[in-house]
Amino acid sequence: MAIVNRTPDSFYRPGLTWDEDAALERVHAVVAEGADILDIGGVPAKPGPEVTAAEEIRRVVPFIERVRAAYPDLVISADTWRHEPARAMCAAGANLINDTWSAWDPALAEVAAEFGAGLVCSHVGTLAPRTRPHRPAYADVMADILDRVLLLAERALKAGVDPDRIVIDPTHDFGKNTWQSLEITRRLSEMTATGWPVLVSASHKDFVGETLGVGLGDRLAGTLAVTTVGAWLGARIFRAHDVRQTRQALDMVASIRGDRPPARAVRALA
Amino acid sequence: MIAAAALCPCPPLLAAELTGQADILPDLRAACAAAVTSLLASGPDLVAVVGPAEASGTWDPAGQLGLARYAPALRPAGPLAAGHGAGPAAVAPPLPLALGVGALLLGNAGYAGPRIIVGVAGSEPPAACLALGEKIAVSAPRVALLAVGDGSARRSPSAPGYLDERAEPFDESVAHAVRDGDLPALAALDPDLAADLMAAGRPAWQTLAGALLAGGSSVPPQTEIRYCDAPLGVAYLVANLIPR
Repeated sequence: MAIVNRTPDSFYRPGLTWDEDAALERVHAVVAEGADILDIGGVPAKPGPEVTAAEEIRRVVPFIERVRAAYPDLVISADTWRHEPARAMCAAGANLINDTWSAWDPALAEVAAEFGAGLVCSHVGTLAPRTRPHRPAYADVMADILDRVLLLAERALKAGVDPDRIVIDPTHDFGKNTWQSLEITRRLSEMTATGWPVLVSASHKDFVGETLGVGLGDRLAGTLAVTTVGAWLGARIFRAHDVRQTRQALDMVASIRGDRPPARAVRALA
Repeated sequence: MIAAAALCPCPPLLAAELTGQADILPDLRAACAAAVTSLLASGPDLVAVVGPAEASGTWDPAGQLGLARYAPALRPAGPLAAGHGAGPAAVAPPLPLALGVGALLLGNAGYAGPRIIVGVAGSEPPAACLALGEKIAVSAPRVALLAVGDGSARRSPSAPGYLDERAEPFDESVAHAVRDGDLPALAALDPDLAADLMAAGRPAWQTLAGALLAGGSSVPPQTEIRYCDAPLGVAYLVANLIPR
C-alpha cells in the first residue's frame, strides 16, 4: 500500500505530492515499483490547521478520478475519517476506506457497504482525530486493540460491508507510546490469528525513530524491520513510503517462508 | 497540620525504566528528587500524596506506578522484566499516574513510612479541593503533602494537545502564585480553563492550597521553585512550600 498524500504538511517528506502532477508521477513510479494499493489522503494525521470536509474533497477527489482513469484495476484506498469525503472518494473510484481514526465517524461503514468498498478497522485508544496520544496506558494493549478492531469488524459486517474486504490494523503510534507499538509488533500474530487480514502502518513513524534513536531521515531500516517481522507474523498489507524497498523486503520474507521461489537461483547449481 | 509541601509533575518518563537507554530530562528528575528529599526533611508523621485521578478517593498505600501499563515489555513475565514489577507491591492494582509517580518519588527517596494516597477527580470544583486539603491537613500532627500534577499539555505545536496561546500565561500564573506563596491565587484558578488547557494538576494544586490555608497563617509559605519549564510541550513545575 503506497502512500500518496495530497497534503502540503504531512510528517514525512511534506508536500512531496501536493502538486497534482507530481502526485500522478508518484503514482506511476510506485505502481512500477510494485504497489498493489494506493492510499490517497488529504489530511495529515498530526494536529494542525483545520482541513474541512469540502477542502479534503477538493484535494483528493479530482486526483482519484485521474488515477482511476489511468489505472482501471488498481486498488485505491481513501485515507479519511469522515463519511462525506469517503463517499465522494468512493464515487470517484476508491475501493477501500482506510479509517485510521477508528470509526470516529461510524457512518464510514455504511459508505463502504453502499459502494462495495473495503474498510480498515483501526485502534487509537481514546484519541479524537488529529490529536496526539498523551500518556496512554493499557492493562494489555493488544487485548484493547483486539476488542476494538473486532468490534468494528463486526459492526462493518452488520452494516453490510463485504466480509472479504474488512481489514484490521493495530495502528502503530496512534494512541500508543513506543513501548506499546513495539509490543503490538511483537504480538501481531494475535491479530493475524483472528483470520481478518492485518494492515501494518509503521512507515517512518516515531516509535521507529525512538527505538533506534534516529531522526525522520533515517528510519528506513527500522521501518523495514517492522515490515519484515509483520510479514513473518502474517500481516497482509503494509502501508509504505518506500515502495521498492518494502516490496523487496516482503518478497524476501515470502521466499524465506517458502511462499515464493527466488527470482533467480543458479548459485552452486551449475 | 502541614509541616511541608511539595509540588511535582507526573510525566511517565520520570520513571527511568520507561525511557529506554536514554536519561531523559535529568534536571527534571533531579529537581523532583531534591523536592521530595526536602519534603521528607520536615520529619513528617505522615506523607500525603495527592494527585488527579479518574475518581476521587483514597488508594492502597502499598500501591505503585503500573510501569507495564506504559511499557508492556516491563511486565513481570515480560521480555525486559529483569526484576521490575517483582515483589508484593506489584500485586496491588496500579495507581493512577500522578499517584503512582508520587509513590515512585517517595520510593526513590527511600521513604517507607506511613502514607495516604489520595486521588482528586478532574471534575472536582475548587471548593471541594480546598475542603479536601483542609481534611488532609488535620489527618496527623505533622503532614508532609506531596501534590503531583502537571501544567498545560498545550504549550507548543508539538505538544500532546497542540499549541494553545493561553497555555503559557496560565502556567506562568500558576508558577507566580507558587513562587509568591499566593495560596488564594491557586485557590482561584479557573477549572474550566485548566481543563481546556489540559492542565491536569489543577485539582492537586488547589488541594495543596486548601491544606496550607488550613493552618490559618496570614503569612505566605516560604517557597522554592526547583524547576519550571515545558521542554516537551507539557508544563512541569517542581517546588517546595514550607508554612511559616
